[in-house]
Amino acid sequence: MTFFTIIVRGLLRRPVRTGLTLVGISIGIAAVVALVGISRGFEQSWATGMKSRGTDIVVTNMGSTLTPKAFGIAVRDRIASLPNVVATCAIFVDLTSIEDSSMMVVSSREWGGFSWQNLKIVSGRMPTDAMEPAVVLGRTAAEVLKKKVGDLIQLEAKELSVVGIVDGGALVENGSVILSLPLFQEISGNEGKINVIDLRATPGMSEDNLKKLCVQINAVLPEARAMVAGEHLGSSQAYRFISAMSWGTSLLAVIVGVLGVMNTMLMTVFERKQEICILLAIGWKRARIIRMVLWESALLGLLGGIIGVIFGTAGVKLMEQLPSIRGMLEPDLSFGLMAVSVAIAIAVGVISGLYPAWRSSRLTPSFAMQG
Amino acid sequence: MNSNSHESVFEAKGLKKEFDDGRVQALRGVDFRIESGEFVAIIGPSGCGKTTLLQMLGALDWPSCGILNYRGVSLPDIPDPSAYRANEIGFIFQAFHLLPTFTALENVQIPMFETDIPAAERESRAIELLKSVGLEHRLHHFPSKLSGGERQRVAIARSLANGPSVLLADEPTGNLDSENTKNILELIIRLRREKSMTLVLVTHDMNIAGMASRTIQMKDGLIVSDLATTPAAP
Repeated sequence: MTFFTIIVRGLLRRPVRTGLTLVGISIGIAAVVALVGISRGFEQSWATGMKSRGTDIVVTNMGSTLTPKAFGIAVRDRIASLPNVVATCAIFVDLTSIEDSSMMVVSSREWGGFSWQNLKIVSGRMPTDAMEPAVVLGRTAAEVLKKKVGDLIQLEAKELSVVGIVDGGALVENGSVILSLPLFQEISGNEGKINVIDLRATPGMSEDNLKKLCVQINAVLPEARAMVAGEHLGSSQAYRFISAMSWGTSLLAVIVGVLGVMNTMLMTVFERKQEICILLAIGWKRARIIRMVLWESALLGLLGGIIGVIFGTAGVKLMEQLPSIRGMLEPDLSFGLMAVSVAIAIAVGVISGLYPAWRSSRLTPSFAMQG
Repeated sequence: MNSNSHESVFEAKGLKKEFDDGRVQALRGVDFRIESGEFVAIIGPSGCGKTTLLQMLGALDWPSCGILNYRGVSLPDIPDPSAYRANEIGFIFQAFHLLPTFTALENVQIPMFETDIPAAERESRAIELLKSVGLEHRLHHFPSKLSGGERQRVAIARSLANGPSVLLADEPTGNLDSENTKNILELIIRLRREKSMTLVLVTHDMNIAGMASRTIQMKDGLIVSDLATTPAAP
């Protein structure tokens, strides 16, 4: 028999209560895995989308909404001539409901711009000119909208032909409805307006030099803000709000877990008061009693964390299959997130066990002689 | 704290214990010496202070005033009471106090965690101890599956786990029938003799006290008689 056997027996003494506590912790950890994983995955998928388009810097004005604020296309001319700017592509991106789908990314791109180049035709073709009333769909968008080449799609008040299905190499790209910028500007009544400029810099520029170029751009462009691709989403107040909500909700769930473990461990200490006193009477040191309580609560945290990671991952995988959001999630269920989640759970266990452990250390061994 | 015969194991002078800011006086000035290897019975009615005295001897509680020495060392001043209890004292309780989620074999191993007995030796040592109390066939039984007499045998084996020099027994047969009482007393007395331990046994039963080599009678927190006796057979 080892000390670990004693820890495990302590938890198995009340299997139902231990099980319910584990459910409480695992729900909290599942929330962390799911919400933070989805939130981080969303950010990463944008970064991947940028990379797949060959974009080094994104010029945009992320305000308090999920889509950037519009600005005049003339802005692009002010930065195109800066040193180390190789190419620019003006874009108007919007989030809108299309037919049965409540939220789709519509990405309208400057005709002939480099942001078209990463799109690989899966079926059909690209539009033939800037004003052809046609769109190409990312492969996920085609699945979600249940469209194939030759079908019509209702965008705002206009019907457009689906002329091609494309693979953009990233979830954001594959989940988008893509069309030419002038066509979308006309349909949406945003003539002369854009809200994103994709920028390619001199090949081989370091991250630091890209940041310096951003500073240069920002100096000549008060209407928008240049950021290294992938970082721009973080400047969105809406995204930051969503991210904060994810962490906040997770934190609440974790606090519930803390209270659950603390309640369980306090009950355990109260119930085992005489048992603990007997251990003290037969020579156990108070430090060992404290270790026993803390190890029990840490083990609860570890098990709850592992179960929570499994629940969270399974939950996200199930969500990915829901028809209403299928193809729109690319959660970051990395080993790192899972390790952090389990570490949080263990910390929850240890923190929750501190007070019960302190209470247990205050018991007097003479109580063992009673009863 | 090594054991030697003919030396004083415990020595108390003017030992007092008060509770509730002096409103309750459990011990009101007790003097005695207990020599190494003695079998001392402490008798008296309920509330006379005998269990309180046993708690003092086991360093489970501290005197309010007076002197209490263990082998010449002041017990209230020992730096590590846990180590004293773990290494020097074996407790036998009236209600057995086995841990219900552990088998007999595991219960006997529990005190060994505070000693330097290697983990590999704990089990074999516990088996030997359970054999010595006649429970080799009940090693893997949980307390709930043992009779009262068997539980007390496990508790006796546990009290011997770390090779103590003193056994403190608080009404060890109080929860047993007469047959088990006889058997348990025989066992305790035999083990005490084999291991040359000092035994301090609290009881209110004069027949049990008659088996001791000395009887201390208490009343209202005081020793009213302290007599050497000729031990009777259990």
